[in-house]
Amino acid sequence: MPLFTRPLHALPLIVALLGVAMLSHLGFGAKAISLSTTLQALISFDPGNFDHIIIQHMRLPRMVTALCVGAALSVAGALLQGVTRNPLADPGLLALMSGAAFGVVVGSSHFGIEADIWIPVLAVAGALAAAILVTTIVLFAPMGRSPTVLLLSGAAVAAFLSALVSGINMLNEESFATFRVWLSGAITSDAIHILPYAAPWMIVSLILALISAPQITALSMGQEAATGLGVNVVALSVRLLACTVVLTASAVAMVGPLGFVGLVVPHATRLLVGSDYRWIIPCSALLGGLFLLIVDLVARTVIAPVEVATGVITTLLGAPLFVMLVRKLL
Amino acid sequence: MNELIYRSRNQRISLKFSRAVPVALCALVLALAGLLFASLSLGSYDLSYAQVLHTLLQPQTETTATTIVFELRLPRFIAACLVGALLGLSGAILQTVTRNRLADPSLVGISQGASLAVVAMIVIWPTALLELRPVFAFVGAIVAASVVQWIATGKTSSASLRFILVGVGVSASISACTSAMLTYGQINQAAAALSWLAGSVHHVSWDECMVLLVGLLLLTPALLWSVRPLTGLQFGPELATGFGLGLRKERILVIALAVALAALAVSFTGPLGFIGLLAPQLVQRLLRSGIGAHLMLTALTAACLVAAADLLGRIGFAPLQLPAGLVVAVIGAPVFIGLIFKGARSKSL
Repeated sequence: MPLFTRPLHALPLIVALLGVAMLSHLGFGAKAISLSTTLQALISFDPGNFDHIIIQHMRLPRMVTALCVGAALSVAGALLQGVTRNPLADPGLLALMSGAAFGVVVGSSHFGIEADIWIPVLAVAGALAAAILVTTIVLFAPMGRSPTVLLLSGAAVAAFLSALVSGINMLNEESFATFRVWLSGAITSDAIHILPYAAPWMIVSLILALISAPQITALSMGQEAATGLGVNVVALSVRLLACTVVLTASAVAMVGPLGFVGLVVPHATRLLVGSDYRWIIPCSALLGGLFLLIVDLVARTVIAPVEVATGVITTLLGAPLFVMLVRKLL
Repeated sequence: MNELIYRSRNQRISLKFSRAVPVALCALVLALAGLLFASLSLGSYDLSYAQVLHTLLQPQTETTATTIVFELRLPRFIAACLVGALLGLSGAILQTVTRNRLADPSLVGISQGASLAVVAMIVIWPTALLELRPVFAFVGAIVAASVVQWIATGKTSSASLRFILVGVGVSASISACTSAMLTYGQINQAAAALSWLAGSVHHVSWDECMVLLVGLLLLTPALLWSVRPLTGLQFGPELATGFGLGLRKERILVIALAVALAALAVSFTGPLGFIGLLAPQLVQRLLRSGIGAHLMLTALTAACLVAAADLLGRIGFAPLQLPAGLVVAVIGAPVFIGLIFKGARSKSL
């Protein structure tokens, strides 16, 4: 049973929590800034005030990045779990993230493409290649429908691509210096430069996901049921996989691979609002933003002034959940 | 007759093995010898085979050839072989005990546990003795293996799949801890730990070789002992019990042996993935044999594989050097996928 029998009732709670998290994300950090100054910095920015500069130029970009990336990854995870009907599916575990990282690293180190506008394109191309690889394996393996084969193929492709990325980085020191932090998955204030080029990709696929939501609910009841309800299963799956690839890739283009966000948030969302994808998609977008805001706040404050890489924290939170799910399901 | 049978006079020792086994052993030893010569002669300073042979047989002090062969290339080759053999044996034992062909020390958290312990040691206590590293690695690996085993055992019977997937999850969180350790640490120690983590035999010297060799020799009696319980365990716990073997204790001891082998290898060269998966599979594909012969052949095959991978990484992109671990991973991952296909077809997954 979900926590809220009427999903609409969950919305005020989520929005209120999001507001609190946004304000604390702006206020806390290496230097704590009072609530009134924070609000002032947002409403009437004073370029001479140091606190205002911190808020506007350092924390606001991080906040926006965390919100977008969290929303994109969580929706990607929710879609992937819906399409594969596998509660363990996650964009990171199924090699989409390594694919995107591979695309960006190869593109910039071998073809010299470094303009911000092309980075999301490279990421999408890489993630798409990885997705096609995993899908091919799963379709042609005789027991491909079993959840384990899917996960193991994903793990193998991910290991393969990560090895290639480390190989490229060892052969090319410049590329290693550029991508070292990015590859461990870190929300930084710089990521905002990519946002204008990644945002269109994200928005289009989010809208597409929202439109398809009722059909995903049908699909999650089983292929036969979905076909009976008038859903073209193959077309829908292809469309949703494309959305997943694009959402994951645009998130990776900004902050690098953040593991397990796409696993944790959709499961939390289902606990809150049940299994109707018309609610799961928007709510996991909001909750994903909330989750990454909190993670980023922890990463910045727990051993300030040193920052822990965001990817480390999301993995530490997400991997135990994965193990728990394996124990429960298999 | 495809089998050779050997009986000692009082019938206390009897061995039965396939005729192909001695042939395969000889072939592998020859391959290893070929790799030895190739490794010693090829590189940024090319030596002819005659020079190598001459240096090996009559080492003269103070010549360039002697320095290159004895100080740089020979220890590296020996370390690669030893590490390969250790990881291959560990993988073969794990696969037999768990009856799962996908078991590999780097997939089920053992290598990651050992890595975390060694990285913690490099970062927190950089002055510690070299000989202590395997101990730390063993403690880390055994803790990780116990956690995975403890979580994976449960009421349902498909335990071997759970074992692998739980391993994937536990490895992910241990790796995250390792990355966190790298961010905490001082930059030069973190850099040392990072190069170690790539899994390479770049910096080994005779000291490391000696520790590896002594470790392997110390574990050899345990390996010889393990053949008997493994023979029973390969049929699964039910049948083994039916044979009259109470194997609970043996099972734990054999897994501990596999952990120790992997930890010893990882403690010096970092986590080399997939080798424990690849070598036993290759051997099994080539010929069927009893456990004892299987272990021996696996050790030799794995030694050849790592030595070849190291050679390839060293000369393939000269003057840059790719770690052997990377070369093995690039070859190993597709093989892993092939195994998934095959396993799925025979429904043994």
